[in-house]
Amino acid sequence: METYRIEELNFTFPLQESKTLSHINLTIQSGEFVAICGKSGSGKSTLLRQLKSILAPHGEPSGRILFCGQPLEEVDPRTQAAQIGFVLQNPDNQIVTDKVWHELAFGLENLGFDQRTIRLRVAEMASFFGIQSWFHRDVSELSGGQKQLLNLASIMAMHPAVLILDEPTSQLDPIAAAEFLAALTKINRELGTTIIMTEHRLEEVLPITDRLILMDEGAVLADAPPAQAGEALFRMQHPMSASMPSPMQIYAEVDGASASAYPVTVKEGRQWLNDFLSSRTAAPDTMAGDCPQLSSRTAAPDTAAGEPPQSSKQVAITFKDVWFKYDKHGPDVLKDLSLEIREGQFYCVVGGNGTGKTTALSLISGIRQPYRGKVLIGGKNPAKMKANELFINHLGVLPQNPQTLFVKKTVEQDLHDMLADTALSKEEKSAKVAAIVQFAELEHLLSMHPYDLSGGEQQRAALAKVLLLEPRILLLDEPTKGLDGFFKEKLAAFLKKLNDSGVTIVMISHDIEFCARHGEVCALFFDGGIIASDSAGRFFSGNSFYTTAANRMVRHVWSGGITIEDVIERCQTSS
Amino acid sequence: MPDKQLTERHWSKRMLLASVLILLVIPATIMLGVFVLNDRKYYFISLLIVLYTMIPFALVFEKRKPQARELIVIAVMASIAVAGRAAFFMLPQFKPVVAIVIIAGVSLGAEAGFLVGAVAGFVSNFFFGQGPWTPWQMFCFGIIGYLAGILFHKGALGRRRLTLCLFGGLATFVIYGGIINIGSLLMFTSHFSWEALLATYASGFWFDMVHAIATVVFLFFLSRPMLEKLDRIKIKYGLIRAQD
Amino acid sequence: MKDHFSTFHPIVNFGYFAAILIFSMVFMHPVFQCIALVSAVVYSIMLKGRGAVRFNLLYMVPLLLLTAAMNPAFNHEGVTILFYLSNGNPITLESILFGAAAACMFVTIIIWFSCYNAVMTSDKFIYIFGKIWPALSLIFSMALRFVPRYLTQIRIISGAQKCIGRDVTQGNIWRRARNGIAIVSIMTTWALENAIETADSMKSRGYGLPNRSSFSIFRFDSRDMIVSAAMLGCMSVVLIGAAMGENTIRFFPSVKMIELTPFSVVVYGSYLMLCMMPVIITMVEEIKWKRIESRS
Repeated sequence: METYRIEELNFTFPLQESKTLSHINLTIQSGEFVAICGKSGSGKSTLLRQLKSILAPHGEPSGRILFCGQPLEEVDPRTQAAQIGFVLQNPDNQIVTDKVWHELAFGLENLGFDQRTIRLRVAEMASFFGIQSWFHRDVSELSGGQKQLLNLASIMAMHPAVLILDEPTSQLDPIAAAEFLAALTKINRELGTTIIMTEHRLEEVLPITDRLILMDEGAVLADAPPAQAGEALFRMQHPMSASMPSPMQIYAEVDGASASAYPVTVKEGRQWLNDFLSSRTAAPDTMAGDCPQLSSRTAAPDTAAGEPPQSSKQVAITFKDVWFKYDKHGPDVLKDLSLEIREGQFYCVVGGNGTGKTTALSLISGIRQPYRGKVLIGGKNPAKMKANELFINHLGVLPQNPQTLFVKKTVEQDLHDMLADTALSKEEKSAKVAAIVQFAELEHLLSMHPYDLSGGEQQRAALAKVLLLEPRILLLDEPTKGLDGFFKEKLAAFLKKLNDSGVTIVMISHDIEFCARHGEVCALFFDGGIIASDSAGRFFSGNSFYTTAANRMVRHVWSGGITIEDVIERCQTSS
Repeated sequence: MPDKQLTERHWSKRMLLASVLILLVIPATIMLGVFVLNDRKYYFISLLIVLYTMIPFALVFEKRKPQARELIVIAVMASIAVAGRAAFFMLPQFKPVVAIVIIAGVSLGAEAGFLVGAVAGFVSNFFFGQGPWTPWQMFCFGIIGYLAGILFHKGALGRRRLTLCLFGGLATFVIYGGIINIGSLLMFTSHFSWEALLATYASGFWFDMVHAIATVVFLFFLSRPMLEKLDRIKIKYGLIRAQD
Repeated sequence: MKDHFSTFHPIVNFGYFAAILIFSMVFMHPVFQCIALVSAVVYSIMLKGRGAVRFNLLYMVPLLLLTAAMNPAFNHEGVTILFYLSNGNPITLESILFGAAAACMFVTIIIWFSCYNAVMTSDKFIYIFGKIWPALSLIFSMALRFVPRYLTQIRIISGAQKCIGRDVTQGNIWRRARNGIAIVSIMTTWALENAIETADSMKSRGYGLPNRSSFSIFRFDSRDMIVSAAMLGCMSVVLIGAAMGENTIRFFPSVKMIELTPFSVVVYGSYLMLCMMPVIITMVEEIKWKRIESRS
């Protein structure tokens, strides 16, 4: 049975000439798990919103959408509300009421179910998703992952036939994201609910989906099972192939011409690599199989991976035996933390949630102070420095949510506002703004309201604001959160440019791939301190779990391959 | 225009309800108070009248089945007012609540202004503690929001900052201060006397003054950016203006 | 001690407080006032322990004295003149007594409200009014969720603003005020823009369809029934007493009360029962537990 049939769908936003969606033809079978991918602005969110009348944006649609064989606009609102579940991006914004139990019941109340039915359904959902232990809590006490799970559960309570999700994990950390995706898999497998979702985390999503739809500029580029869709993308040599999972990219570059299927997971990647290597080496009996190579395991890490972090440069930031807790009787958040960041370094801090990373960042910016030990920036205590001394021409902080920086109606006014306090002349100000606009590629966005920009653009505008203060040290808190592959690369390019001009960069991130690719020194935070820190190459080759997909794929043969490029190079020279 | 008809019907319903209240219920309350309650009559009569004035708003609002977006905008504005009250905890009486309620009334209309005020008064006491003052506060905030809506929302006074500030200062001092002081006086005296009222006002003078100044200051700085933001939301999302 | 009264159905909780607040405000008879004040103090201490004792001593006693002193200064009715003020106004015994009674009532109400705040949590209130006023109670529910969220956001924003040199704790007053206003302004934009997604989420889940129902996790069981019956019984006796003038006192021109009869004692007893209901319930529950524990 078909859940959706979309025929020749076109859509144009008001006052815009180009079509946001053009000639979309899709069929989605009941019980399928479909992922839609594409970079921001490719029209995938617009497409999803067309699938539920009440969420469809204003504009001019043409073509037909059939829901279970019936034109969507003829399906009455009650059926649509119950049958088509929709989960949005931001976990916080979707919650309406203040109690978990009430939120679970909200949709059922709207549909007018009686007390008994609601009681039963709410109980079922709470059990299915493991919500019992926080059933009576206030919503404000939940973590981001729990909130998104609650959103999912409260929609599942209405027993929808299809679940539509618009980048549901983009605001979550990797562990919460994995949990959320596991819940989705469970729903699809155990309840047979059709799932249509857009997602950036391809590494995690592709293995669990039945079909991958790739979109670009409002049109469907490929529509096939993940391995084939990926293959089509590489054959087209489309730029989007750069955001496909690492095993796919390595395979395409090294062995793309062969007839075997594209590997999607690390497991498949490993199998392919074993076959590939055994077919290329002269002595297959020593290379074949999955056994770890003792010789390469015990060998010293690749020296090519990078210089040791100790250099002759001056120290920019020092933590010396720092202890911190939020209140007197609370637990220690930072425990005996010591570290040195030198000028001009690109320093990445990785680690799980609640290990004290963000707290450490707030200590650098002087918002909080340690109760024991010292934090020094250029030899001075940041908490004792005047705001002007610390933050003008010295320390720049890009907050996790760029929206916390926007004050004005347009991007241009917002940028000018940053210089309002300085003694520069009008011309100097304009010149400075113009330079930063050019640097951050904001020219076409200047007259727009900051909230009308996409996530990646907002971040660039915020970065431009911070850069107007000409910082010599830049602190970034999760800058890649919610960004797609394209914007990530763009951000990386900006950071690289800054770093090359001598700016020290300290970045907190969950994004291992990004740190491995662009970081210079990486440190692992755990339990309030730094467990390991080294140059990016050595750092990741020393870890077995907390490392890149490319490394996990090849580490049983070579310990040094961290990035996709490393691995491709090794594969090509390995014969 | 179906919109317009709807508006007129609401008007007439509210008028009807209001007339019933004024002509029947309020006199009945006063009679009851005078003949049954003796010493407590002033407090009870005034309290009940305060509650009665709020009921028609609630009934009319519920009756017309407001849309999700209206509910949200009212909840957001009321929450900003409450959060603002909490954020300025270190300065007694220097609160932005009245200013935000006025801005809501100006931008969203008299009905929404009343509701934002009443909800802000009520919800803030969920955080700071309910007490016998709750209905009075709800009423004062609400009525200021309502007046702001009538006078400024498409009204003759426009949206000039100076007039807004003037209105805000006067409303805070006269309406809020005036009514709250009467309320607290009636709470614990049986016999209304001008002398006592004057003494209450005198003792509350500086509190009310600070409160009024706070309203003027907040309106001076906040009215323009906040009205712009609300306008943007109304345009961008086709928000339905609350009817009046 | 854990309060057991708050585990009852919201209607029982709300009904109790509504009745008790109105009665405490209306009945000025000294016996009634004493019963209400003592019950309120006992219940508040039971609910909040030592904090309540401190609150009552630190704030309520001075408030009581101040309020008691207020009345005779402005009220000169009454026949028993004690002395004259320098401006020629008389101070009467009646007005002092009335002042004391009014002060006592005022303090009782404040203490009852402190109990109310502990027992009637927001979800109970929303449950009661969700039936009558669904849209308004939904606004309350949303506001209760938004306020803590906004307070967190204000902290985040002021942190982010501080890091671009816009600190509310430094600089001259003009600059501080401007930075503070900027924070409120950023918060407003953020709140309004994000609220649109909340509206989408509501519509998407069918808000606005006709025949909305209202769900609650509260159940009115036999326990609630028994307690409501007991409460209604006590209330009826008290109201009959009120109709017969048992509960009233006349202060002016001279103090006058109805004579004490056996029926008066019954009315007093019922009022005490009513006021002490939560305390009695909690005690009974505690004793039951003690017994269960001692048996095992």
